[in-house]
Amino acid sequence: MSFDGSDFYAALIHELKNSLALLSMSIERIPQQGEARHDAPVDEARLLCQGVIDRLNQALLIYKAANGPIHPMIDAGSPHDLVHELAEQTMALARGRIRVETAVSDAVPALWFFDRDLVGMALINAIHNALTYARSTIRIEADMVDGCLSLAVRDDSSGYPEHILTSVATGVPYRATGTGLGLQFSRLIAQSHDNRGRSGELRLSNDGGAVFRLMLP
Amino acid sequence: MSLNPAAAGETSIDYAALRALVVDDSPGMRSALRLTLANFGITKIQMVANAAEAIFQIRNRPCDFILCDFNLGEGRDGQQLLEELRHSHLISLETVFMMVTAESFYEKVVATAELAPDDYMIKPFSAEVLRNRLEGILLRKRAFAPVYRHFEAQELEEAIAGCDALMRGKPKYAVDAMRFKGELLVAAGRFDEAEALYQQVISMRAIPWARLGLARAMHMQNKDQAAEEELRDVLEHAPEMVSAYDLLSDVCLAQKNPAGAQAALEQGVAISAKTVRRQQKLGEVAHANGDLDTARTAFTQAVEKGRHSIFVTPADYGNLCRVQIEQGDLKAVADTLKKNRSTLQSSPEGQLVMAVTQGMAHTHSGNLQEAARALDEAAGLRAAGIRGDAQLMLDLAGTCMAHGRNDEADAIVGEVARNAHDSDALLTKAKRIYSEAGRTDAGTGVLAAATGDVRKLNNEGVVLAQRGDFHGAVDKLLTACREAPYNPRIMMNAVWVILKYIDQIGMDEAMIGTARSYLAEAERQAPGHARIAGLRLQMKELETRFGIHRKSTA
Repeated sequence: MSFDGSDFYAALIHELKNSLALLSMSIERIPQQGEARHDAPVDEARLLCQGVIDRLNQALLIYKAANGPIHPMIDAGSPHDLVHELAEQTMALARGRIRVETAVSDAVPALWFFDRDLVGMALINAIHNALTYARSTIRIEADMVDGCLSLAVRDDSSGYPEHILTSVATGVPYRATGTGLGLQFSRLIAQSHDNRGRSGELRLSNDGGAVFRLMLP
Repeated sequence: MSLNPAAAGETSIDYAALRALVVDDSPGMRSALRLTLANFGITKIQMVANAAEAIFQIRNRPCDFILCDFNLGEGRDGQQLLEELRHSHLISLETVFMMVTAESFYEKVVATAELAPDDYMIKPFSAEVLRNRLEGILLRKRAFAPVYRHFEAQELEEAIAGCDALMRGKPKYAVDAMRFKGELLVAAGRFDEAEALYQQVISMRAIPWARLGLARAMHMQNKDQAAEEELRDVLEHAPEMVSAYDLLSDVCLAQKNPAGAQAALEQGVAISAKTVRRQQKLGEVAHANGDLDTARTAFTQAVEKGRHSIFVTPADYGNLCRVQIEQGDLKAVADTLKKNRSTLQSSPEGQLVMAVTQGMAHTHSGNLQEAARALDEAAGLRAAGIRGDAQLMLDLAGTCMAHGRNDEADAIVGEVARNAHDSDALLTKAKRIYSEAGRTDAGTGVLAAATGDVRKLNNEGVVLAQRGDFHGAVDKLLTACREAPYNPRIMMNAVWVILKYIDQIGMDEAMIGTARSYLAEAERQAPGHARIAGLRLQMKELETRFGIHRKSTA
């Protein structure tokens, strides 16, 4: 019996995704008991499971990017719905431990053009980081900035360390692990969104906490 | 859930009333999905493991929401299931179909397929995302419900007006409304307006589906060069967009570039090999190009992948066997027939394919007695009114001639020619059969007589119509239809003059009935022909004007 390497790889990934889907659905069904000794490890497991899903998605994206540029599948989508969906995901992960707020400016149109899956992946990764570092609140925002749709995740942590801000601002990579790894991907995703010669951007800043902002032209 | 009935209209979903069907081959995933849906308040949940069970279930008990995994193990995949459900009208436009996929690549193939699901979920996903997506689709379908109802009652004008209303009144659904309106305009034969609409979408953002729509609208107006440029550029940016290859092959054929058409289909097949219709088309184009190896592979794939698929017809087995005979591989022919014997025996069309193929194969191997027996059987089926496609009938004619059954052969060729009086490809093939049999002159006579009668009646009818004598025109064309009962061009002309006639003298119930059945037959013979949509629209307008309601449109 012999294996075709790529088929074998694809089948493995398929199985891995199925198992992760089952695992995350199983964890989601464990009821809260209002007792820290029970709830805290379950919440931790839930976050860790999401973290594994993030890393897997990033690994697959890197695999695709290695085989050619990322082609985002851009279609019309509602920024309002996206913020709402992310907020519900965040609340499910936060389990009342962290307050989740949303703010969609009146300037945001009913529809914008972006790859819902890629943008969602970048934002949920930022949200997972925020859930780890935030003191009490996470805020998911949509606004129009410089003619771009700006989607931001804001927390009240002590903010991004200086070397990360510099690295993302200058585009010079650094030893990417953990938080930094996700940011590199988010930058790739933002840049793959271009419109009439203008590319998307990832902007990081510290403003009463960490502010992660995707700018989509 | 809101108990306030006023508020319930716009934004709330009654999950308890929603009938759901989960299609997944993994028992673990089925039960996990059921528990997740139950958490939303969905209690009416059926679960099945594959496409066949899903179709059975839906036939017995319609459902509102189908959550289907793309990968269903052996047999049909989720996309094939969706195509069959829509094609056989087992689900309406109001039914929600969501595809679940773990394939990092197929998500794009699925989302950009010609028949796309309402949404797709990439595994692993969270319950919140699933609920949000489902709710979004249900609310959207609620907003589109009047449009869908008009569409399903064939009231295209009203459906288009409904899309316009959504574009004005519901900014959130504006692009969805434009997308559906584009399809409606194409269905109504208003290709120039469709082109303008797609240009309008593209001016906002060059999204692939809009560019594909633009190319289709241009192709329907014979602007094939522009359509080809558009498609080649789309594919450079979105190479996984399979339906673009299908359209590109049509565009190439329209420009008499069969090699380009074959190349396009081969690229499409390389991305998604399971679509039966793409394999069928590749087989036909490759066969016409003389590339027998490719044709054989494609027809084999069509028959294999499409086992149990409604898109596979007896003609597919005939096509495969024809290639195998042309390759001189008579053993393969015998294997194909043996393997699919029960399928072919189950319908008279299948029996005809079997008889003709056996007749050809036995003739090639010199087994003349067996061949004659097969030809007798084919003759019997033909006498009973059974017909195959034109290729099969010409094969039958050629085999008859090889056995000296010239009168039978001439009758068959005459019938094929009458029904395809304007098809150069078929007439050329018919001529070749005669020249191979050393009966070139006889062939010229048969073809001239057959096409001449029909052409004469058709031209006379059209001239009378142009002079305003619609009564005379109807007479001529109905005679032509009786002479050539499967000729789509003649039938469309007949429908056209009948509608003109009614427009002039008033409603004639029997006449419109005739027109209706000829239009249906024309569509069976030439599915998707550019004229059909326009004729259907004219008929609808007449029916509305004279107060005929075929479907209850309350």
